[in-house]
Amino acid sequence: MFETRRLRSRIGLQILLTVLVAPFVFPLVVMVRGSLQGAGWGNYATVLSLPLLPGFFLNSALLSAAVIAIVLVCTLTAAFGFSKLHIAGKEIYFWLLLAALTLPGVVLLAPLFATVTRIGAYNTLWAVILPVAALQVPFTVLLARNFVDGIPDALIEAARVDGATMVATFWHILLPLTRPIMAAVVVLVFINSWNEFLLPLLFLQTPDQQTVTLVPQFFVGMYNNDQTKVLAAAVLTGLPVVIAYICLQRFFERGLAAGALK
Amino acid sequence: MSTAVREDITPQVTGPSTRGGRVHRPAGLPWIAPALVFSVGLLYYCIGYTGYISTLDWDGASPLQRQVGAENFARMLGDPVFWGALRNTVVFFVLTFTVQVALGIVFASLLHSRLWLRSIYKVLIFIPVVLATATVAPVFRQIYAPDGALNELLSAVGLAALQQTWLANGAFALLIVISIQIWQSTGVVFVLYYAAIGQIEPEVVEAARIDGAGDLRILVSIIWPGVRGTTIAIAILSAIGSLKTFDIPFLVTGGGPSYATEFLGTMIYRVSVAFSDVGYGAALSVVLLLLALSAAVIINVGGRRGERSGV
Repeated sequence: MFETRRLRSRIGLQILLTVLVAPFVFPLVVMVRGSLQGAGWGNYATVLSLPLLPGFFLNSALLSAAVIAIVLVCTLTAAFGFSKLHIAGKEIYFWLLLAALTLPGVVLLAPLFATVTRIGAYNTLWAVILPVAALQVPFTVLLARNFVDGIPDALIEAARVDGATMVATFWHILLPLTRPIMAAVVVLVFINSWNEFLLPLLFLQTPDQQTVTLVPQFFVGMYNNDQTKVLAAAVLTGLPVVIAYICLQRFFERGLAAGALK
Repeated sequence: MSTAVREDITPQVTGPSTRGGRVHRPAGLPWIAPALVFSVGLLYYCIGYTGYISTLDWDGASPLQRQVGAENFARMLGDPVFWGALRNTVVFFVLTFTVQVALGIVFASLLHSRLWLRSIYKVLIFIPVVLATATVAPVFRQIYAPDGALNELLSAVGLAALQQTWLANGAFALLIVISIQIWQSTGVVFVLYYAAIGQIEPEVVEAARIDGAGDLRILVSIIWPGVRGTTIAIAILSAIGSLKTFDIPFLVTGGGPSYATEFLGTMIYRVSVAFSDVGYGAALSVVLLLLALSAAVIINVGGRRGERSGV
């Protein structure tokens, strides 16, 4: 976009970019540097040797997997229905769903708490899985519907003319074509559920049920002012999402852009 | 579901009557039912329940509930913490939106230019987006601590006189919360603008350049109008995001000092959980929800009207 034909202006812009990006890198540098102070890699060894730590990661993995499964099923079927099938009052249903996009999670606090304690789901992962998934569905449906709108109706018609059932059409025609958006949804939902903080904070009380986002607080309580261990724990909990993002970068950015450009 | 499917295909097979009124439309309701029942059902149930609780005087656990009508809402009007939280939300929105849009467009334009190591810069801008606030909060508390990285940096460059107990000062604390939000979400804004700028035709930019337009002129006269739709989408996202703000103030400043970084989210949490005043918390939730909905509608409508008259 910008003038880069002369070396001088190219170097100027390169410097501008570097200066602007520096504040974004600074906290990451502080984080890694801080985690290596004092005992150095020993901080990581201490954190990793805690018997409870694998549990936090396992719980987050279970939470993310369950949320992804629920969201994928709801999203793909709904995108097919909204985009390709006849439903009386379809747009009303769609707007009901879209209105939920504006819903702040904290609004659910009181009713969820009352409901969760009443049905005895307190301190179980389900108390977090269901509301987190419900909060994701509106956005992923919007994303997937936009994508499925781009698939020609003729393909679906052709399958039906050939005698395919709706389920077969969905399974053999639609699903293979929606792979890119499925990938975007999976990455997006994974990051959101891995990073969810409020609901685990509210509903998961014992360390054996808690998720990685509660680890820093757990360590603050445990190591008091030993910032180096807290930061080492922070690096370890952040690593999975950073790796996931770097590996799946393309899908992730495409998914985000697809959702907002429509 | 499978019976509906079988009925559906029979008329298709019987004849070429798809034209002229008898267009065959299979029932789609079963397909959207899981999403509707699960998501809309759960969320609207919660909203309805919140609306009911907002008329109660209740601690959230005991069987004692007292109907108080609109008392919780009346109480809100006289609550300085509520108005402070609203003011913080507005300041937060204006600053985060302005800075993110400026940074996002500049980053996107720069990374669409032929510069070195572009993919590495992209990753660096985006990493803060994927890290949980809970993960990075200890880092920011460390940076702004009295003996933290910022004061260290200031004394290293000979500006020790500027050292502060950053988080103990209300104005600084709010700015810190805002700066962390900018740090975390500029990556999203950047990606959206990056995609939008990719759709601007390079010929237009070339033509302008031949006519003598400089980089700044191209940014203002071609790129900015070209990404208008994206800017509106970002305005809605950050307005709703500002109203939803919870993790950053809760984890970094705890809403303090003396409510200087209190937002509706942290206030609802404090009122409902710490003070066990669930009725009042629910009333605040209802107001928060209405504000989020109206913000989305106003920006959407306003943005579209501007688009029509602007072109």
